[in-house]
Amino acid sequence: MRQFRHPGFLVGFIILAFMTLVAVAAPVIAPYSPLHTDLANTLAGPSATHLLGTDQFGRDILSRLIFGTSISLKVALSVMALSLTLGMTIGAMAGFLGGWIERITVSVIDILLAFPGFLLALALVAARGSSLESVILAVSLAFTPRVAAVMRAVVLTIAPRPYIEASHALGMTRWRILIFHVIPNSLPPVIVVATVGAATAILGEAGLSFLGLGVQPPTPTWGNVIADGQTFLESNPLISLSAGFCIALMVIALNLLGDGLRDTLDPQMRKTSNAKMM
Amino acid sequence: MGSYLARQLSQLFITLFGIITVTFFMVRMIPGDPAQYMLGDYATDEALATLRAQMGLDKPVVVQYMMYMARAVTGDLGDSVITGRSALSEILQSLPDSTILAFAGLAIAVVIGVPMGIITAMRQGTWADTLIMLVALAGISFPVFWLGLASILLFSQELKWFPALGSSSGQGFWNAVYYLTLPALVLGVSVAAYVTRLTRSAMLEIIGQDYIRVARAMGVPERVIVWRLAFKNALIPILAIVGVTFAYSLGSAILIEVVFSRPGVGSTILKAVSARDYQLVQAGVLILAVGVVVVNTLLDLTYALVDPRMRKR
Repeated sequence: MRQFRHPGFLVGFIILAFMTLVAVAAPVIAPYSPLHTDLANTLAGPSATHLLGTDQFGRDILSRLIFGTSISLKVALSVMALSLTLGMTIGAMAGFLGGWIERITVSVIDILLAFPGFLLALALVAARGSSLESVILAVSLAFTPRVAAVMRAVVLTIAPRPYIEASHALGMTRWRILIFHVIPNSLPPVIVVATVGAATAILGEAGLSFLGLGVQPPTPTWGNVIADGQTFLESNPLISLSAGFCIALMVIALNLLGDGLRDTLDPQMRKTSNAKMM
Repeated sequence: MGSYLARQLSQLFITLFGIITVTFFMVRMIPGDPAQYMLGDYATDEALATLRAQMGLDKPVVVQYMMYMARAVTGDLGDSVITGRSALSEILQSLPDSTILAFAGLAIAVVIGVPMGIITAMRQGTWADTLIMLVALAGISFPVFWLGLASILLFSQELKWFPALGSSSGQGFWNAVYYLTLPALVLGVSVAAYVTRLTRSAMLEIIGQDYIRVARAMGVPERVIVWRLAFKNALIPILAIVGVTFAYSLGSAILIEVVFSRPGVGSTILKAVSARDYQLVQAGVLILAVGVVVVNTLLDLTYALVDPRMRKR
C-alpha cells in the first residue's frame, strides 16, 4: 500500500496498532485490576509499584488507563460503523435520486448541522440515560448528518461521470448502478470522514464521561479518569494529565491516518473532508 | 440584493421551524413516560396530571407536536421543573455569559488561526509549516476540557497569573475581563487549531489556481500575490470557516464553563440534566441552535456584501 510511504499515515497506523494491542492484551499487561481498591494507599504519587500513582480509592491509574483503551476503541469503531451506514445510505439516496427526496434530505441535514454536535449528543444521552450504548448511539446520531452531507456531495460529483452514463446505456437498473458503481467509487473521501468521525467519537465520549453523563464509574474510561482527577488537580495532577495524553495520542493517530488517507487517496477531496469536521 | 435577502430570510424561517421540530422529538427519545421522568419517582399524581396535560401527553403525537409548535413560536418553552420559572427566561438569563465566552474564544481563534493558516499555506513544506501544523494537530486532538484543566494547573496554581474558577470576584469591567481571559484563551487556542487547518487548505486551493500562476509568471511581487490576489479571494471560504467553527465553539464553551465553574447556558443545561429538568435542557438546546443559525445567516449576508457574485446565486 502506497499509504505506508506517507510518514503521517505510518506514524498514525503504528500508534493505533499499538493501542489495539494494549486494549486486547489489557488483562495480561495491566499490573492490577482496574477496579482493585486499596484504601491504605489512596492518592499515592508515582512509584515503582504504581507507575502513575493511585486515585482516591487507591486504584492503580496505569491499569485504569490500560483498560480504558478498549472502551475508547469500542466507541470509535461503533460510531464509525453506525454513522457510516446511516450517513452513507441517506447521502447516497439524496444525491443519486435527486428531486424532492434530495431537497428534503438536504434541509434536514442543514437543520441538524445547526446544532452543536456535542450538545445534541448530550441532550440524547440525557434522555436515554447514561450507558456505553447511549453514548455510542448519541454520538453516532450527532455525526451522521456530517457523513450524509459529504456522501451526497461525493455522489453528485460521481453521477455525471461517463462510466455511470455508460452503465445507464447498458440498461443497468438504478439500484444496481448505485450499489455496484456509485457507492464503491465514493468510498475514498467517505473513509477520510470516517477517521474524523472516530476522532470526534473519542473526544465526545471523553467529554460526556467527564461531565458524568457517559460510561458510569467504576468502569474505567479516559474521560472518567480525568473527571476523577479534577478534584485532586493540585495534589495529584498526574491523574488527569496522563488520561488526557492517552486521549490526545489516540486522536492524533486517527487524524494522522485521516490526513494521510486524504493526501494519498484522492487529492481533489481535500476541501470537502476538511470543511465537514466538527 | 432585496430578493437575496428575502431568500435568506425564508431559508432562516424553514430552519427555525426544523430546529423546533428536532427539539420536540428529543423528548420522544425519553423511554417511558416523560412526565414521570421529569418529575421523579415521588411526584404527586396531581403534578403528573398537570404536566401531562400541559405537554398534551394524553393526545396523539401529531396533536402534541402542534401544541408544542404553537407554544414555541410564542416563546413558551415550558417551565423549569426545579425553579418553576419559564425555561426560556432561565436560558436567556445565562445566555450573555456563554455568548461573551464563545465570541471571545472565536475572536482569539480567528486572530491566531487565520494568519497561521496563511503563513503555512504560503510556506508549504518548510519547517515553519511542519511545526505550526504539528501544533495545530495537537490542538485539535487534546480534549478542550483537558486543556482547561492543564491551563488552570499551569497559569493559576503554579504561576498564579489568573484566577482558576468563577466569573468575577467583584464589580467592574476589568475584573470580569480578568476572569474571562484564561477560559477564553483556552477555548480560542483550541478552536484556532481548527481555523488554522481549514484556512491553510482554503489558501492552498486558491494559490493552486491558474490566475495566481499567471501572476507569478508575470513577475508580480509575492506580497501582492498573497494579500491582493489570494487573500481577498480566500475571504469567502474563511468566513465560511468562521461559521462552521461557531457551532463547534458553542459546544466547547459548555465544557469550558464547567471546568472553570462559570455561569452560562452550558452550566444551566448540565444542572438541568442532572435534575432531569428536561424542558430546560430542551429550551437550552433550542436557543443555542437558533443562535448558530442566526450567526450563520448574518455571515451569509456578509458574503453578499463582500462578494457581489454571491447575491446572484
